[in-house]
Amino acid sequence: MADDRGAFPQAPARGVRSGAAMAGHPGTGSAPEPVLDGDAPPEDVGRRLMTVNVGPQHPSTHGVLRLIVTLDGETVVRVVPDIGYLHRNFEKIVEGWAYPGIVPFSDRNDYLSAINNEIAVCLAVERLADIEIPPRASYLRVLFSELQRILSHLLFYGTFGMDLGAFSPFMYAFREREVAYTLMEKATGARMLYGYNRIGGLRNDVGDEWLRELEGFLDYVEGQAWPEYMGLLIDNEIYRARTIGVGRITQEQAIAWGASGPMLRATGIPWDLRKTAPYLCYDRLEFDVPVGKNGDTYDSAMVRMLEIKESIRIIRQVLRALPSGPVLAKVRPTVRTKPGDYYSRVESPRGEVGVFLVSDGGHKPYRLKWRAPSFCHLQMVPLMCEGWKIADMIAAVGSLDVVMGEVDR
Amino acid sequence: MGLFDRVWNAAKSMAVGHAITIREMFHRPVTVRYPEEKPPFERGSRSVPVLKVNEATGLLNCVACGLCERSCPPSCIEIVQAVDAAGKKKPWPETFELDLSHCMVCNLCIEACPFDALEMADVVELSSYQVQDLIFSKDQLTELWKTSKALRVAGGERI
Repeated sequence: MADDRGAFPQAPARGVRSGAAMAGHPGTGSAPEPVLDGDAPPEDVGRRLMTVNVGPQHPSTHGVLRLIVTLDGETVVRVVPDIGYLHRNFEKIVEGWAYPGIVPFSDRNDYLSAINNEIAVCLAVERLADIEIPPRASYLRVLFSELQRILSHLLFYGTFGMDLGAFSPFMYAFREREVAYTLMEKATGARMLYGYNRIGGLRNDVGDEWLRELEGFLDYVEGQAWPEYMGLLIDNEIYRARTIGVGRITQEQAIAWGASGPMLRATGIPWDLRKTAPYLCYDRLEFDVPVGKNGDTYDSAMVRMLEIKESIRIIRQVLRALPSGPVLAKVRPTVRTKPGDYYSRVESPRGEVGVFLVSDGGHKPYRLKWRAPSFCHLQMVPLMCEGWKIADMIAAVGSLDVVMGEVDR
Repeated sequence: MGLFDRVWNAAKSMAVGHAITIREMFHRPVTVRYPEEKPPFERGSRSVPVLKVNEATGLLNCVACGLCERSCPPSCIEIVQAVDAAGKKKPWPETFELDLSHCMVCNLCIEACPFDALEMADVVELSSYQVQDLIFSKDQLTELWKTSKALRVAGGERI
């Protein structure tokens, strides 16, 4: 094998690792060898390529994502995402758990949009167990899931700016997130992993004072914070130069790779499950679906910024139309579902969160499959990054808004 | 877009950005210096389930029925019911252990309890270098209830 690699006479056999990993390692006793990837395909031989690990402990990879990047100078030749560092065996563990316990555990999947995950599980179980949730619970679920969308998109705004080297927007985003998290803590008792939804409704109701406080927060975000975000980052010329045209995906590619949420809408496809497959009381609310044009990182960020405004609009309608009454249906302590399967899907801030629940009639799921949008989006990383510079790769990965807890499950 | 436009846009966005940050400089900081000053917990904030003591009798409300034990998804509660010398079961727990390294603070044990024996406390500084130290005994949980602000929120009520 080594003989047909003319450029490097000492090239090792294919499959044998050599070079940087072992060079100079105490105990090997050998001199440093030339840096070579033993698995390099023939077309790379002779090029001065370098393999770099970005992550899993790296500030710009959003959690424990490892990108194995092959570089030609500063240009990305190949990028392979390596996942699994946060694997918790969610799908198998919940096969042994009763339904009420799965709801708080599903928070840990996409920890930035915990409410949406809970709703996905609750919808599936409620459908199979024939539980009708009270109207107030339905409206409050929409309210909390939209508040969660604002929170998640604010984090995206902050970290995406940081990926591009702008640190100030991060601080501004967290200023509002702190207010919103305090609101969440008042209502749900927790700041991040709420455990708020129950099979059949919500754990507790919210008071009128809380709703007034929320309205003040919405006014503040819409009137003052949102224009600041635009001025600080989105309208900035450096930001525009760094993002417009970078990491572009076409509509066909987005559909082929199973993209959903803002990544799909950035390419111009108005696919939003809140419109196309309404759940809860979304069909009674009026809102627009922001879409992009080019499918680049600028568009996907812009779609998210506009979604913050749409979420505020939805919450205002919910506040006006909020019916009174109980928030928790009468449910037996041991929830039993009828045999069958159901696929429930909700629009999380990242895209389509799907729960495929197969029941054999017991109080535990026979099988629960979790469809994570970040998992599908992460497969597009090679598509978006190859051929671009390494700094653009960070921008493209940042625009995916991946949450590794959801990818690895 | 020509070079002049780009230079003009860059200058404009710099001016806009600086105007926002300079305005923010005259606002009060929103952060707190954590170990010295601590932000208050909201009412009903939850971090660890604790055992409630009956104010009148000074005894635990818990009757060791085991409903919380069974409702706990990660099985972090372990109860051993008390027995007297004759082997007869007594309505209080001999041991009540809570493994906080597994607990996901989901509130399900509190909702399962029909005797109002469990409440959620708002203590968060419970970290430890030894994972064994996170197994809380009956006495420790009672002590936590006494020293913290605990609350029971369950069943769809208003908060």
